[in-house]
Amino acid sequence: MKSKSLIQMDILGLIQANILTPVVLFFLLGIVAARIKSDLKIPEAISEFLPIYLLAAIGLHGGLEMRNTGFTNMLIPMLTAIGLSLVFTLNHYQILRRLGKFNIFDSYALASTYGAVGAVTFSVGLSFLKNQGITSEGYLTAVLAVLEPVSFILAIFLTNLAVAKQIKSKKQSISNDLDADKKILGMVGQNKTNLSEVLRESITGKAIIILLGSIIIGYAIGDNGFESISIVFDDLFTGAIAIFLLEMGIIAGQRLDDIKKVGVFLVIFSILIPTFNGIVGVLVATALGLSMGGSVMFGLLMASASFIAAPAVLRHAIPQAKPSLYITSALGVTFPYNIIILLPIMFSISSFVHNIDGPINLFNYFGINLI
Amino acid sequence: MKLFDVKLLTVTCEILAQKAVLEILHKHGITGYTSYEVDGDGSKGIRGQGLKNEKNIKIEIISTEEKLKDVAEELMRSLFSDFAIILYFSDVQVIRSEKFI
Repeated sequence: MKSKSLIQMDILGLIQANILTPVVLFFLLGIVAARIKSDLKIPEAISEFLPIYLLAAIGLHGGLEMRNTGFTNMLIPMLTAIGLSLVFTLNHYQILRRLGKFNIFDSYALASTYGAVGAVTFSVGLSFLKNQGITSEGYLTAVLAVLEPVSFILAIFLTNLAVAKQIKSKKQSISNDLDADKKILGMVGQNKTNLSEVLRESITGKAIIILLGSIIIGYAIGDNGFESISIVFDDLFTGAIAIFLLEMGIIAGQRLDDIKKVGVFLVIFSILIPTFNGIVGVLVATALGLSMGGSVMFGLLMASASFIAAPAVLRHAIPQAKPSLYITSALGVTFPYNIIILLPIMFSISSFVHNIDGPINLFNYFGINLI
Repeated sequence: MKLFDVKLLTVTCEILAQKAVLEILHKHGITGYTSYEVDGDGSKGIRGQGLKNEKNIKIEIISTEEKLKDVAEELMRSLFSDFAIILYFSDVQVIRSEKFI
């Protein structure tokens, strides 16, 4: 009982300490600036450049780590991540559709937004671990790249299926009308998104290209080659995240009013689902033998929601879904919650299950000794 | 100098609908257009601030009235319900009519 309360205290302490990091403070500054309607704005070119920079930096980092530690053992974590992502997406859909009473399109769009991964969240996680002086498996960056399209493809496939079914049943009810038949066939063509097209687009999309490309480059150049560019891709990394989070804070702040519109159910969903997925992720990763830091990153992959890639993919593939729902909940609720509160929670859980002489066990040790 | 009467169709829509619009243009054999990023305000709220995905785009197409009406009809049918989009026609005169058929 006593040790439990100590863990809780420690989580709270870690959350408190996490808020006082530059990355989170800049995010909060952005929110404040947006709320008081300041004209503070990050130049457009920079806010477009920073995601590319962050992906390149985490890609290089991953590639270097993979060169040092090898990637033969990455297959099982990767397949597990894909499996979990698919299961979570289906689970989200059931919750949204049955409990949330959202329509099919919104349910699938939201389900895949939360099944997908957030590269920005991943970057923040890496800088959080860096701050704590803890490393993680480099191949998780490759898992990030592979996971990116998985959940979207599932959701789009199922949406197509549902649309085709609906049209078929409509068609049967008016099958003797030839004109209507033709019209419906036209509708099928319009509403069905070509899956191979989605797949091709997500694989050739800028995020995957820069991420996979940087992993390969990092792997190829090794530590010696990296030395010449480390001032840009290593030393500046946390600072760049801080600036990018200022921008994210401004955008999230502008969307805060919309949160009222998405409804209480979705707000609760956007907090409980990442918590559940993240903790399951940490535990599964620990069971698979990932390191303490790696388990946190694995949990973060499962917890994060996509808010940059998702709108670009979903707006085209499931245009019927309301973007205000999935962007607002992912960026306005889940992202801040993930980086401020959930990250320290997962960190504490991971260090607890890994039995590392982290702050928690230190406290426990003293606690037991004092009694 | 002889001027030829043709129509200008202007489509303002969210940037993520651009691809769908261009596909429709292509389908109707329209080979040229001009587009630029814009921002603005309307029934879908202020657009064009923050993320690039939230921007609007303005696409201008010059062609014959007949062809553009077909295009507009398809845009209306497939995009009006799901996207922030407006479109309008105007009369314009061009010098080389063969470019816009």
